[in-house]
Amino acid sequence: MTDLTRRFMLKATGAIGASLVSAGACVAAATAQESDASSSGAVRAAPNAQLTTYLFLNSDEAAFVEAAVARLIPEDDQWPGALTAGVPNYIDKQLAGAWGVGERLYRSGPWRPGTPAQGYQLPFTPAELFRTSIDAINKELAQAGTPFSTMSSEQQDAYLARLETGGKDLGGVPSNVFFEHLWECTIEGFFSDPVYGGNRDMVAWRMIGFPGAYASYYDLVDQHGIKINRAPMSIGEGPHGGMHLNPDIPAKLP
Amino acid sequence: MRANTPSLNHKAVSMTAGIGILCVVSAAAQPAIQQPNLARGAIIAAQGVAGRAPACAQCHAYNGASDGSGAFPRIAGQSAYYLAKELRDYASGLRANAVMAPIAKALSADDAADVAAYYASIKAPYLPLSSADPVLISRGKQLARIGDAAKELQSCNNCHGPGGVGELPAIPYLAGQYEHYIAFQLTMWQRGFRNNSPDAMADIAKRLDAHDIAAVAAYYQQVDASVLAATQPTK
Amino acid sequence: MAQRLKHVDVVTIGVGLTGSLTALELARAGLKVVGLERGAPRFTVPDFQSPAIHDELRFSIRKAMMQDNVKEAVTFRNSSDETALPIRRWASFLPGTGLGGSFVHWNGQTFRFQAADFIYKSHIEQRYGKKILDPDLTIQDWGVTYGELEPHYDRFEYLLGTSGKAGNIKGAIQPGGNPLEAPRAREYPTPPMKEPYFGALFRKGAESLGYHPYPQPSSNLSQPYTNPEGLALQQCVFCGFCERYACEHYAKASPQTVILPVLLKNPNYELRTNSQVLRINLDSTGKKATGVTYADSTGREFEQPADLVLLTAFPLNNVRMLLLSGIGTPYDPKTGKGVVGRNYTYQTTGGATVFMDESINVNPFMASGANGTMIDDFSGDNFDHARLGFIGGQYIGAIMTGGRPIEFHPTPEGTPRWGLKWKQAVARNYNHAVLVQQHGTSTASRLNYLSLDPTYRDAWGLPLLRMTFDFPENDIRMSQYIADKVVEIGRAMGAKSVTRGGTKRPYNTTVYQSTHNCGGAVMGDDPKTSVVNRYLQCWDVPNVFSIGGSAFPQNGTYNYTGTIGALTYWALDAIKNQYLKAPGPLVHA
Repeated sequence: MTDLTRRFMLKATGAIGASLVSAGACVAAATAQESDASSSGAVRAAPNAQLTTYLFLNSDEAAFVEAAVARLIPEDDQWPGALTAGVPNYIDKQLAGAWGVGERLYRSGPWRPGTPAQGYQLPFTPAELFRTSIDAINKELAQAGTPFSTMSSEQQDAYLARLETGGKDLGGVPSNVFFEHLWECTIEGFFSDPVYGGNRDMVAWRMIGFPGAYASYYDLVDQHGIKINRAPMSIGEGPHGGMHLNPDIPAKLP
Repeated sequence: MRANTPSLNHKAVSMTAGIGILCVVSAAAQPAIQQPNLARGAIIAAQGVAGRAPACAQCHAYNGASDGSGAFPRIAGQSAYYLAKELRDYASGLRANAVMAPIAKALSADDAADVAAYYASIKAPYLPLSSADPVLISRGKQLARIGDAAKELQSCNNCHGPGGVGELPAIPYLAGQYEHYIAFQLTMWQRGFRNNSPDAMADIAKRLDAHDIAAVAAYYQQVDASVLAATQPTK
Repeated sequence: MAQRLKHVDVVTIGVGLTGSLTALELARAGLKVVGLERGAPRFTVPDFQSPAIHDELRFSIRKAMMQDNVKEAVTFRNSSDETALPIRRWASFLPGTGLGGSFVHWNGQTFRFQAADFIYKSHIEQRYGKKILDPDLTIQDWGVTYGELEPHYDRFEYLLGTSGKAGNIKGAIQPGGNPLEAPRAREYPTPPMKEPYFGALFRKGAESLGYHPYPQPSSNLSQPYTNPEGLALQQCVFCGFCERYACEHYAKASPQTVILPVLLKNPNYELRTNSQVLRINLDSTGKKATGVTYADSTGREFEQPADLVLLTAFPLNNVRMLLLSGIGTPYDPKTGKGVVGRNYTYQTTGGATVFMDESINVNPFMASGANGTMIDDFSGDNFDHARLGFIGGQYIGAIMTGGRPIEFHPTPEGTPRWGLKWKQAVARNYNHAVLVQQHGTSTASRLNYLSLDPTYRDAWGLPLLRMTFDFPENDIRMSQYIADKVVEIGRAMGAKSVTRGGTKRPYNTTVYQSTHNCGGAVMGDDPKTSVVNRYLQCWDVPNVFSIGGSAFPQNGTYNYTGTIGALTYWALDAIKNQYLKAPGPLVHA
C-alpha cells in the first residue's frame, strides 16, 4: 500500500472530472461534490500528483478522457485506478507525440474497409481518431444535455459498453474502433513505465507486484514461490528514488 | 538528474521491503512466516553472542558504516536477504574468509536473520572520505552506467540498480560502498578466490583490468555524494 | 542513375543470422564480401543496455526493433477471392530490421526438427496413406535429410552455446533430456537453464499424466561460454525482457555476441548499413545475377557488382526480392504453375492460461526467453494419427518469457473486460497464472502463397509483398485436438481454472502469434515444385542462393532458428566445397 491509497477515497457516486481540468483552463465552478471534497479531503481523484498539463487534448476532450478512464480502471479502497495513475496524462502525451501523428503506421491509400482479419484500415492517425471520436461523442451528449462527466457511474459504464459494442459512427470512426484504441491506451497508460507520464508512482506495478525496469533474477528464479516485496524501479529512477520527469517538480508534494 | 532526498526515499521504502517478508512458500502448504526480530539483531550487533561470536559492531560499527577504511564493508542499509546469504556462505565455506567464517558459524539461522534485518534497517550517514581522481571516477561512471564495448562489458547498473543502489533482495548496493572493499572483492573474483556468486561476477571481473577495478570502486564509493551535490538547488 | 561500384566476389542481402554466418565463412575462404544491411548498426554496448532497454511500451508495444510500416509493410488477405490490404501496423508477426536482424530480438528458443520433418510427404504417405491428406495440402520432402544436417545443427548450437540436455545421443536415450528428440552426436555446449516455478508446476502435471517433460533448449545461456570464434558469452539473468528486446548482458546469442566482432575485423569483409537493396540485377540471359542495386540512407542508388549473390534476409523479404528481381516463375494458384511464393506457411500456435491458487507465487517476471519446460509427446508425427483425421502436431509447454504487464494481465473466464471487477481480477491473478503454450506444424496448402501486391507500394516505390493465407482445416483440427490435451495438463497442475486455447479460422493478423513465416522459396529436388535446390541454390539463377526460412517446404513443430542455422552451414559447405570450385548449377534436375 502506498501513501496514495491511504489518502485517497472515492465517493461511490458522482463524477470526478471537474477537479482535474487542465491547468491552463478555468477551474470549473465548485460543485456540491467539490465542497464535499474540501471538507472531507476525500474526493480528490489525483492526490499526490500535479495537475496534468495537457498538450493535445482540449478541456472538453480531457474531461471526457478523465471520466472515461476513471470507469475503465476505477479507483477502489484497495488500489488506485487510471486517474490516480495519470492515464489521461499518458494518453495526452502519446497523442501529442510521434505515435499520435502516425509513426510506424502505413498511411498510403487506397482506403478500403477490410475484414476483421485485415486490421485497421482507416486513414485516421491516432490523434485524428481520438479527436474525431471524442468531439463526436461530446457533441452528441451535449445536445442530449448529458455531458459524459456529469453522468452517473452506471450511466457512464452503459455508454462505454455501447461504444464497445459498436454500431455507432463517430464522425467516421466506428465506435468500437475508438473504444479499442481508448482501452488499449488506458492499459498502456496504467502499466507502462512512469517515464511516459502514466503509472504514477508505479501504482499499477505495486498493485500486481511487478518489479519494473531493473530486472536481474538469477539468484531468485529457482526459489520457487518466493515472495518479492521490493518497491518497483522505473527507467527514470534515480539512486534516491523519485521520478525525474521534471526536476523542478518535487517527487512528493508537501 | 536531481533528486529530492527527504521524503519519498527509495532507500527507506526498499529497506522496509528488504527486511523482508521473504518466505519460500511451497505449493503444498503455507508455513508460518517468521518475522526477524530487529531488537534482538541490534543486541547481537552490539554485544555479539556470548561465548560464540564477537560483536559485529567492533568492525562494522553499530550503525553499519564500519570505519571507512574499506577493510570492513559498509553494511548499513544493505539487503537483509543478501547479508543473511553471505553469512550462510561464510559458514559453509562457500565464501572463504578467515575472519567471518568462525563468526558466521557461531550464529544460528535466527541470529543471522535478526542481525541481517537489523543492519538492513539502518540509514547511516556517509563518512567524509577523500575523493579520488576525477578522471578515474569518470571512467568508473562510464563502466557503471554504459559499459565498455571493446571489453564486451555491460554496465554494472544493469544488475546493481540505478546509481548502484542494488536490486532487492538478491543484489547488493554498491553506492557508498568503500572503494578499497569493492576493489578487493573484484580482484578476489578475478583471481578465483571468491566463488559464492553466480558465474556472472567472476566472468565480469575477468574482463576488467586493474585500472577499471580502481575506477568502478572509486566511482561507487562517491556516487552518493556526487548525486547529493547535484541535487543542491542552484537558485 | 545508379553509381556503379567496384566489383566484389560476394554480396549478402541482409546482415542478420544467415548474412553474418555466410559472410564469415566466405571471407575466410579468401573472397571479398560486402554485407548490405538496410537497418542501422547497433551493438550491445551502448545500444542494448538497461534500464532503457527494459521499456515495454517502446519495444513490445511500439515495436521499436521492427521494420517500419511507414517504409515497408506487407499486404494481406485470407484467400484469393479477397482484396489484400496493407498490414498497417504489425501484430501477428514482427519482421525485424537493423544490424543482426531478428536474431537480436528473438527469444533464444533453439530446436532441431524431427527426422520425419525433412521427408514429410514420404513419411506421411508411407505411414498413413495419401487419403489422410486433405486435397489442398501440398506437403513436400525437403531434398535433404536430418542425418545430412546433424553436423550442421551441432556446429550452429556450439557457435551459440545453446543450453540444454541431450535426450538422445546416437540412439541412446539420456535421462533428463527429451526422449523423443532426433538423435544427436553429443551433448549441448552448456547445461540447461534453471527451471522457474512455472516449469516445475508443468513438469509435475505432465509427468502425472505419463508424458515426458524436458527443459527447453535455450540460447540465452545458463553459464558463461566461449564459442569457437573466441567470443565470450555471459550468463542469462532471467530479466524477463527477451523477445522484442536486445540483451544487455551478452547472454543471448545474436550476431553481435557470437560472430560480428570477428567478422567485422576480417579484412575481406565490408559492412554497409542503412543500405536498402532494391533488386538483384540479372544479365540479358536472365540466368545470371550481375550484382544488386541498393539505395543508401540519402536515397542515392548504387550498383554493387558481384559474382555471387546471397539472399540472407528475413524469409518474407527473400521471397519478395526474388519476385522484384524476376528470378523464377511466380506461383499462380489458379493454374498451380510457378514456384516463387508457393507453399507459404506459418506456425500454428495457441495456449491456455492456467490459474493457480493465490498461495502460489509464479513470479513470471523472472524469466528468460527460452526457459520453458515442455513435452514432445504430441509434436509432429510422434503420435499415431491413423484415426484422428489430421496430420501434424504441436509441442506443449509452460513457456513464460516475462511478466511485462501491458502484455500480460490475465483474468479468468467470465471476468468483465474492463472496470472494477477486471482490475480486482488482475490484481488477484497476475502472480498466480501460468501460460501453457501449444506450438506446432503449419501444413502447406496450394491456397496459401506470397506474391507482389498490385496496388500498394513501399517508400521506394516498389510493390509490397502480398500474403494470402489462412490456416488449413487440417491444422485447425490438429490444434483443437491438442487444446484438449493442454487443458488436461492444466488440471493436472492443480489449477483453479483453465482457459482453453486452440486455433480458429480465419487467421487474424491483429493478434500476435509467431514470427515464424516460412516458405515461398522452398527447397526440393524438383524445379517444378521448388525455387531452390537442396543446397539452397536458385534453379533459375545459379549464382543466387536464397538462405533462410523461406526454404522450408512447410513448417515443422518447432521454432525455426535452429534449422535455419543448420541449413545455412549446409549451404555454405556446398558453396565452399563445390560451387566455388566449379560455379554453376550444383544439381541437375
